[in-house]
Amino acid sequence: MRHSNVYRVASKDIVFESFDGEAVVLDLSTGKYFGFSDTGSGVWQALSSGVGVQAIAEASAIAAADLEGFISRLLEFGLLAPADAPGQPLPGEIVSALAAAREPLSVDVHDDLADLIVVDPIHEVEEPLGWPAVKQAN
Amino acid sequence: MKLSVIMPVYNRERYVVPALRSLVRQRDAADLDIIVIDDGSTDGSAEAVRSIMDENPCIRLYRQPNMGVAKTRNAGLRQLPPETQFVSFLDSDDISPAGRFARDLAFFAIDPALELTYSLMTRVDVMDDDALKPAPGGSSGTVRGVSLSAAIFRRALVDRTGLFDEDLAQGEDTDYLLRVFETAPRHALLDTVAVYYRRHAGNMTKQTDVVMRAYLQVIQKSMRRRKADPSRRPVEGLFEIRNDVNG
Repeated sequence: MRHSNVYRVASKDIVFESFDGEAVVLDLSTGKYFGFSDTGSGVWQALSSGVGVQAIAEASAIAAADLEGFISRLLEFGLLAPADAPGQPLPGEIVSALAAAREPLSVDVHDDLADLIVVDPIHEVEEPLGWPAVKQAN
Repeated sequence: MKLSVIMPVYNRERYVVPALRSLVRQRDAADLDIIVIDDGSTDGSAEAVRSIMDENPCIRLYRQPNMGVAKTRNAGLRQLPPETQFVSFLDSDDISPAGRFARDLAFFAIDPALELTYSLMTRVDVMDDDALKPAPGGSSGTVRGVSLSAAIFRRALVDRTGLFDEDLAQGEDTDYLLRVFETAPRHALLDTVAVYYRRHAGNMTKQTDVVMRAYLQVIQKSMRRRKADPSRRPVEGLFEIRNDVNG
């Protein structure tokens, strides 16, 4: 594994949140959204807050190969990018969440709402570009 | 054939009368029942509504302390009379285009199994509140997007769908529509404009962080529902830009 095994969220188009420990990520540029298993939610929360891969591996029972495979998918999806930064400590609540997690590490991609995400007045916030000019500009 | 239209109002004294006029001008299309829920407005909204109630007995006004939009829409659902067969919504700053209800209701008459029509919305920057339509050059884009006003629901579908999620500060309309469409109701996507959506400085949807968080929550709720119940379907191919349509 590379020495700089710390990642950051790839761009400002990637927005995310966790609800009751379950992470959801949305790529505003494509309208794709991403859901995770319970283990995946914990790992996403750790990676997106700048926790190094090593620290995640040490604090969980996740096999190194699974973790690497998961991270490569997040990189391919354009959700994460390598960060040139020291790793952050792994928060205790993520350690507990990973210990309690039961599902294998996974991430699912969905594109059924892509048109909605691009069409919706959510883009009102991006004045003066406005809605629905976002898609027209593409 | 009774059509109930639910309208939540919060501090919209400038817009609520044109919104109501746009509905009552369509009273020939159905036995129209307009349920206005004033969510604790601190301006003259309730008085504005009352000012046209005498000549329009189809308007019913209820007032409650401020509770937020989801609870207000639910208060409207609870006022549906047993005989209501069709349900729609109009926000108190928007305009219902002339002939909108007659056009969509005709499809239910042709197809007794139809549960839902879902039509287009036009964004309007400058509304002509006398003519109840966009001012010349005042509209800027038509989409099939998220709007409860784009829908006419058969009553059974509303009863099956249940209430709006009161835990959502915003996005309760998106959540409701996803819950509806995930169950694959028999529906018709019509290519006519069902609502003129008024853009103005007070639009709730401009509070970025709140909107985004609510949005992510709505999406996650949809994923959870579909995981728990694989018979629920992803809502594909519904939303689209329709700039070819004249508002």
